[in-house]
Amino acid sequence: MASKQESRLCALTFFAKLHPGDVCGSNGLPLTPNSIAILGRAQKLKDLQDEHLCQYLDVIRGKHERTIVVSEFMGLSLEDYAKRQHPLALGQILRIFYQVVRGIDVLSRHHLVAHNLEPKHILISRDGRQVKLFNYGLHHMTKGGCYVPFPIGNIRYMAPERVLGLNGNIKSDVWALALLVVELIFQIELWPKLKLSNVIRKILAFGRSNGVLEKIAREHQCYDRYTALDKELRQLLESCLHVLPKKRPLPGELLKHPLFEAIASEMSKENELLESLEKDPVPLLMRCPLSQIYHLWQLAGGDVQAELKKEGLIRSEAPILGLPQIVRLSGVSVCPGRSQAQLMDDRVVPLRLQALLQRLSRLPANVYFPLLHSPRFPAQNARELQALPLVIREKDIEYQFQRVRLFTRLLQGHPHTAEQLQREALVDVPPLLRGPIWAALLEVVPNGSYWKIDKYTATSTDRQIEVDIPRCHQYDELLSSPDGHRKLRRLLKAWVTAHPQYVYWQGLDSLTAPFLYLNFNNEELAFLSLFKFIPKYLQWFFLKDNSAVIKEYLSKFSQLTAFHEPLLAQHLASISFIPELFAIPWFLTMFSHVFPLHKILHLWDKLMLGDSSYPLFIGIAILRQLRSTLLSSGFNECILLFSDLPDIVMEGCVLESQKMYEATPKSITHRQHALRLHTVHDLDIGVDDVELKHLQQEQCPRISAKDVLHLLLNNPSELALVDLRSIVEYGRVHVPHSINIPFATVQLGEQRLEALPVPQLEAQLRGRIVVCVSNIHQHSVEFSHFLVACGIPRTCILHKGFNVLHSIEPNILISN
Amino acid sequence: MDSLATRTLPFVYKYKNHEGQDCESRLDVTFPFDQEDLESCVTQLISQMDPMMRILDENINLENELQTFVDTEQQNFMDDRAETLLNLAAKEEFDMEAIVRNTERLYKDELLQFADRLGPSDEDIFAQSFHRLVHSSSLEEILKRERTYAKVVSDMTDTMDNEVETLNHSQQQEMDSQINQLDITTTSEDINNLLAQQYTTQNYVRKRYESELEAMMGHQKNEYRNWITSQVSQMFQVSPVATPLGNRSSMFVSQQPSMEESFTIHLGSQLKHMHNIRILSANVTALCSPLHAEESLNGLNMALGLYSSSLCGVVVLTPSIQAQANKNIIKNANKSTEFHFEQIDVQLENIEKQILNLSTGDSNVCSGSTSSSSSSSAEGNSEGSATPSPTKKTKPRLKTGDFFITKHSNLSQSHVIFHLISDEPINSPSEINSRHPVILGLRNILKTASRHDITTLTIPALLRHEMSEDMTVQWCIRRAELVFKCAKGFMIESASWGGAELSTLQLLLPDDISESLFTTLAGMVPSVFHVANPKILVDTNK
Repeated sequence: MASKQESRLCALTFFAKLHPGDVCGSNGLPLTPNSIAILGRAQKLKDLQDEHLCQYLDVIRGKHERTIVVSEFMGLSLEDYAKRQHPLALGQILRIFYQVVRGIDVLSRHHLVAHNLEPKHILISRDGRQVKLFNYGLHHMTKGGCYVPFPIGNIRYMAPERVLGLNGNIKSDVWALALLVVELIFQIELWPKLKLSNVIRKILAFGRSNGVLEKIAREHQCYDRYTALDKELRQLLESCLHVLPKKRPLPGELLKHPLFEAIASEMSKENELLESLEKDPVPLLMRCPLSQIYHLWQLAGGDVQAELKKEGLIRSEAPILGLPQIVRLSGVSVCPGRSQAQLMDDRVVPLRLQALLQRLSRLPANVYFPLLHSPRFPAQNARELQALPLVIREKDIEYQFQRVRLFTRLLQGHPHTAEQLQREALVDVPPLLRGPIWAALLEVVPNGSYWKIDKYTATSTDRQIEVDIPRCHQYDELLSSPDGHRKLRRLLKAWVTAHPQYVYWQGLDSLTAPFLYLNFNNEELAFLSLFKFIPKYLQWFFLKDNSAVIKEYLSKFSQLTAFHEPLLAQHLASISFIPELFAIPWFLTMFSHVFPLHKILHLWDKLMLGDSSYPLFIGIAILRQLRSTLLSSGFNECILLFSDLPDIVMEGCVLESQKMYEATPKSITHRQHALRLHTVHDLDIGVDDVELKHLQQEQCPRISAKDVLHLLLNNPSELALVDLRSIVEYGRVHVPHSINIPFATVQLGEQRLEALPVPQLEAQLRGRIVVCVSNIHQHSVEFSHFLVACGIPRTCILHKGFNVLHSIEPNILISN
Repeated sequence: MDSLATRTLPFVYKYKNHEGQDCESRLDVTFPFDQEDLESCVTQLISQMDPMMRILDENINLENELQTFVDTEQQNFMDDRAETLLNLAAKEEFDMEAIVRNTERLYKDELLQFADRLGPSDEDIFAQSFHRLVHSSSLEEILKRERTYAKVVSDMTDTMDNEVETLNHSQQQEMDSQINQLDITTTSEDINNLLAQQYTTQNYVRKRYESELEAMMGHQKNEYRNWITSQVSQMFQVSPVATPLGNRSSMFVSQQPSMEESFTIHLGSQLKHMHNIRILSANVTALCSPLHAEESLNGLNMALGLYSSSLCGVVVLTPSIQAQANKNIIKNANKSTEFHFEQIDVQLENIEKQILNLSTGDSNVCSGSTSSSSSSSAEGNSEGSATPSPTKKTKPRLKTGDFFITKHSNLSQSHVIFHLISDEPINSPSEINSRHPVILGLRNILKTASRHDITTLTIPALLRHEMSEDMTVQWCIRRAELVFKCAKGFMIESASWGGAELSTLQLLLPDDISESLFTTLAGMVPSVFHVANPKILVDTNK
């Protein structure tokens, strides 16, 4: 634990290989840039956490194929350490040996190889206790060096078979490690003065000899040390340096070697001791996960590229000097020699945390480790910040820190903290933890079922999936990487297999993309989130024949548009610009097909908290944002406008939709095909009560008696009840404060409110939910159409007419 | 050796099915094995079983066993392969020296650690110095100096032109009088002699001036560069603050307000990138006019942008006869000393040499861009020889769709000129499609621009610099539409190239285009490119 204090972040950078000329992949699409492929492969490394491996934190893609890797760093490299502590004691060397073996053993268990072991890539904490491997993922992320122009690994420590071009064997790492240890034991540097070509010859020559260790000892004038070596250790090293990989031990076998037994027990004892001893003043921040620290570092203004520039690792050369002289049609070009700034420079640049530590040091400990269930320590002390716009909150370091810590805690306690999580998510969702938070909101419980689903057997939808994937949110680096494609394919196929009742509709890819993007390293979570998401919002949408579902949905959308935007609805209807023409991709993909990912994330943050009707309000919010343009456009302009949706201000859209969602009684959004969570009450709208033809005929939605009652009792000022029965009937029995407009007296031809015999009617209706009530349903429908034409918002019809009000108990009706 | 490259082994999984019977399922596993395929193999194995087994979680045990099998066999496979290779190596079956050479080259060429350290080139240092200086208070002084230098050179060229002109005139008079006297006092031989003599004189005068000019330019360049370097070393002592690279200031101050119209467009299906499109009619040489000809702000813009990552480029069409640029452009470029690059004639000469090299052997070809004779270039080649690889002809030259590049610091609106080869005969406008080499060349230009931070690019929208009588309105509309659409496609594609984003695309129409045709073509821009909708701020609280 002590070493954590000095553990910091660092960055290194290199260029990916450029694709030669103009080549296309086998699918006829342009090849993915190598830097993107690297980015995709590197994601897996981020998941690797072990006490002997430096954690990978981020991979950033710069301009012109530059790739930047951000990783954990601590203490010193073995190179510097050995210089400082020269000569190292044998016990110390063995401890290093042992810990590195532990490191490569973990790698081999994850089917990785380092292939670049050298003193620079072994880090030792300042007290010399802890050893970690560093930069071990280069071979994996570059697909064994395929994606980069430079060779991987220090030639001195390269095993003969690697020089011959054979990569991927963990035993090559065993060789490199053994050479490293030999260097330390003999206190030498291998071939310090030899030319590169001669080093290579030496290594190749090992391929023909047997006593590699002896040979090295003789060459470096330390044969006496060789003979003085402990026999067991010598044999161990010799076996590791055996020319034939077959004879070299595997890391797992090495660990069991008796030589290490003592060290292993000694170390575990030490660790126990340390744990009980040390409660030293480690800054609280350093006890948080490194990924969070890195995230905060970025928020605190940390810029990896700027740091690299400062150290001269990113050199800005005038681009005009590098221009080619001739470029031929085939892509062959004559250019000036490559500048050295393009070469691989393996320097490592530390990222300083000092500013961040200082910035957060003022915060009390309960922000670092919030207590959820003790009211004495309220977790919230950033209420005032919550009034700020979301974009600002997402960039505010202290605020994000609090949110991240709070949600970390809440997620650890999930599902017991589900309620609180929901409440906090209503405020906002910290971007760092969005994936797991969404999953929690969707009540996902990982249970391993994903691994049982067949994702490989060929099906009839494969071809369509294959076509859609390379077109799905490809501006995003993760989703456009080969790994992203593979994962998306698996997710889609898994979903199709898991739902035999459904089919793959184009758009499912876009729908899956946000989940994959957020849970790139956790396919199961991505899958289960999608699995829960679809029935919640898109029940029955993926049926082979989904026309009834979609028609109902769009009719409801029209009704709700009339409810909230009567004038706009009127206009769109008059130019017959029906939702079928533009809104199907909106709803089928929950807008993920029409917006870029960063906008979808904010939209869905809110969507996750609403029920299946929420998307409808998002659609209306979009229309509302384009209202002035739409009102002045004809059919053709509208089609053109929606063919490529203009830039929508997402924050406004989210706020509007939320306002509408909250202001709309639930029964207004009633759909036959929605997922039902509650049993139907007598006063509710029955499941099959409203058929599609009703929806299509009635411009205004129906409201249930239950919602009317609720409004009447709790919010009478929100409600305007228009009673369309005759004066006589009204006199006999009516709802208090309702407005009586006998339908027979109304002339619907003139679409003005003033034409009605009620003074100041408009003032009585504005800002309220206007419920048309009659005992003849057709009257209500016609009158509601009249109100919409007059531009009265929030008009609806009482379902089942006036008579249903009689059945309410206790009675609400009065008579004159 | 190839027989060793893969190995296939059978994997047999024995299990008891749900009725307790012994069963087995088998699969041939190929090594080397990709860990990514494990799940797929498990799927194949389990699909041989009763569906019930999947529910009984048989897959977990199966996966474990398969994993163990694969791990062991993979290790064996690797070890065996290494052994074979090492044995072969021990028997000297390979060219060991070649391995040594290749490995060494790889390390030396790609790793800074092993590379022969070259300091930054003079050009680099000068570029850095200039860029730094130009972003400091010395800017004014630099421009003043440049202007003075330019004045001297342009005065000199003017004098030369004048003198040549007068000489021409007097010679003409002399000749006229002689011709009038023909067969009276002079013979045709006399006239021939005179002609020869006149020619020599003229040549002499021209040569004299040219050498003088060259000397002057050389002198100026030296003086200028020394001055810049000295200024920088002074500045270093005062303020070591770095100025940010790049500038986003507008690069255009049109010389004469010709017809033009600008649009802002959004490209991309979900994530939208913003670009500017400007359509204008002008003579292409007006975009490459001498920088210091008049007092304008352009000098400042061009100097600020020169070593930045927002360069300006112009595409100029040129016939394939030789690596020859538009005469007027050469003349403009020679109006003043080129302080940063070679004088344009020298650049062209070098390119000519490179073309020769290209054809004799591909030795000098930039590494990494091997001549992949992809189908795209082969089928697009409308000329007789369809092979894109340089053929060993007697007279090597570039073909339609190829282009060469010249760099300039003394032209008004372009740092970089792409000379795109196009052999379209004047007076017989042909029909082309999107696979035509010129269009593909245009794509290569956009690609080069993206790779080298050229963020403003002007392309000839009709792929012509002048109007001709055969260019009917219909033809112009078709041609413009093709170029617009292709440009749009390339710009969308460019988002994935990972280079600099093109911020402004200028569509250049000939300056002698009729106003009505210009309006028609400009009207096509918004329909081809999706013009961004204006954002109207509405008070939502109403």
